[in-house]
Amino acid sequence: MNKEQIKQFQEETLVLLKNVMDPEIEINIVDLGLIYELYYDGNKKINIVMTFSTPACPLGETIKTDIIETIKHKHPNFTTTIDVVFYPEWNTTMVSEYGKQILGL
Amino acid sequence: MNGLKTNNAPHSSVVIPHFIFGGCSFLIVAVLIILANTNLLEAYFNSKIIAITHMAVLGWATMIVFGALYQLIPVVFETSLYSEKLAKITFWTSAVSVLYLTYSFWVSAFTTHLVYASVFMFLSLFLFIINIVLSYIKSEIKNISSKFIIASIFWLAITEFVGTLIAFNFKLNFLSEIHLHYLKIHASLGTIGWFLLLIIGVGSTLIPMFLISHQLKKEKLVVSFVSINVGLLCLVLNWFIFSNSVLTIICWVVIVIGVISFMSFIYDSYKKRIRKKLDVGMQYTMLAIISIILPIIVSLILVLVFKIEYELLFRITTFYGFSIIFGFITTMILGQTYKTLPFIVWLEKYKNLVGKTKTPLPRELYSSKIAKIQFYFYVLSILSLALGLIMKNFLAIKIGSFSLLIVAILYNINVLKIIFHKVKNSNNE
Repeated sequence: MNKEQIKQFQEETLVLLKNVMDPEIEINIVDLGLIYELYYDGNKKINIVMTFSTPACPLGETIKTDIIETIKHKHPNFTTTIDVVFYPEWNTTMVSEYGKQILGL
Repeated sequence: MNGLKTNNAPHSSVVIPHFIFGGCSFLIVAVLIILANTNLLEAYFNSKIIAITHMAVLGWATMIVFGALYQLIPVVFETSLYSEKLAKITFWTSAVSVLYLTYSFWVSAFTTHLVYASVFMFLSLFLFIINIVLSYIKSEIKNISSKFIIASIFWLAITEFVGTLIAFNFKLNFLSEIHLHYLKIHASLGTIGWFLLLIIGVGSTLIPMFLISHQLKKEKLVVSFVSINVGLLCLVLNWFIFSNSVLTIICWVVIVIGVISFMSFIYDSYKKRIRKKLDVGMQYTMLAIISIILPIIVSLILVLVFKIEYELLFRITTFYGFSIIFGFITTMILGQTYKTLPFIVWLEKYKNLVGKTKTPLPRELYSSKIAKIQFYFYVLSILSLALGLIMKNFLAIKIGSFSLLIVAILYNINVLKIIFHKVKNSNNE
């Protein structure tokens, strides 16, 4: 895979992750701006750096499972790792225009 | 990974029975209010009102609080509950005790059943206290929310101790003052020390989380914590030792500063919220926060005005208790049930299906229509009962009582709908 193909794969995976909802806020995690970075190494390994709307989020583990299962469903032989960070702190500037519409911002 | 403790959540068999029993108790409270009839307009210490009060605060509010707290320990303490087995034992002993205690009051068995019932209740609550304290000890995080919870547990123990003393005094008559003196201390400890501090502790974590608000001034919570605890401690010492009316006013002011500080924290959270539209659960919650103003005003009258004729004093006192138990506590619990219970059940039923199949949203586990109708009936019942108690109008009390019964039925329908939700996925849809 060349750099262009990797970039395209990363963008496709982000679109795929729009199927993962935050069950409380009821917006997908991509439009909510929870995904900070998504790396693909070109060799079936995906690493995601993400955050949650609050550090005390009781649904954190469920959202992570949802991400892993959603990717596994499309790419059964891939390995996905997720790093959760709380810096920078998530805020509304990270929400997409579509997300802002839903939230009424 | 700080704060992500979903895996520490207790099994649903620990939490769910509390919501079922709490819902049934709410229904019983509504029925007892109808059966109490004109007794509601008598002095606040008559046996029927005392029975209803204990069923409401222990069977309804405390049971739901126990269940919710077991679920929230991983979020607030960031550790698992010390013992799930102990929590299950506590549930059964508490359930039997509260029914026995309510029966003892209802039939005025002050010198017979009440002593045994209060001892059972004391021991049940003591088991709960042990479980929470041991969970706190093993927790590495000692934040302001967890300190509120631990302080509320301390006051719960004192409340129970005073309550048990009163029960024994009916039989042995060893206390120096009249019962009403100790009843006032018992009620203040329970409402301010146990419920208010606990609701602030849990609310200061949950409300900003559900409103999705950040960068809040935690210093306001510290002010609230210190003021309420110091004020309550002084108030209780004053009532037991000094009996100084000026000191009572000072203590009242200190406590009110703490309550206003918490309300200011929630107002900041509301102003900074990212989610603009409030769902039914948060509508109840915000209504509960606003309604704290009512008992503050009523208590001001009770503290400042010394010469009130007994009949009016009794009526104001009943209204004061009503404004706390129904205006504040019940409103908060009704709202937070719709915020927490669907998630508890959703997590249990769908945690292994997420990403594999399309899952419903937690709010789809209950009927929004029923929740909305329930909200309108609730507002009607509170306004009618408040009007009835203040104006001594029995028709308003009747309307309020039957409206409350409708609220309790609708609430139970939705609670059962959530609990007995059948898993939906692409295979069986």
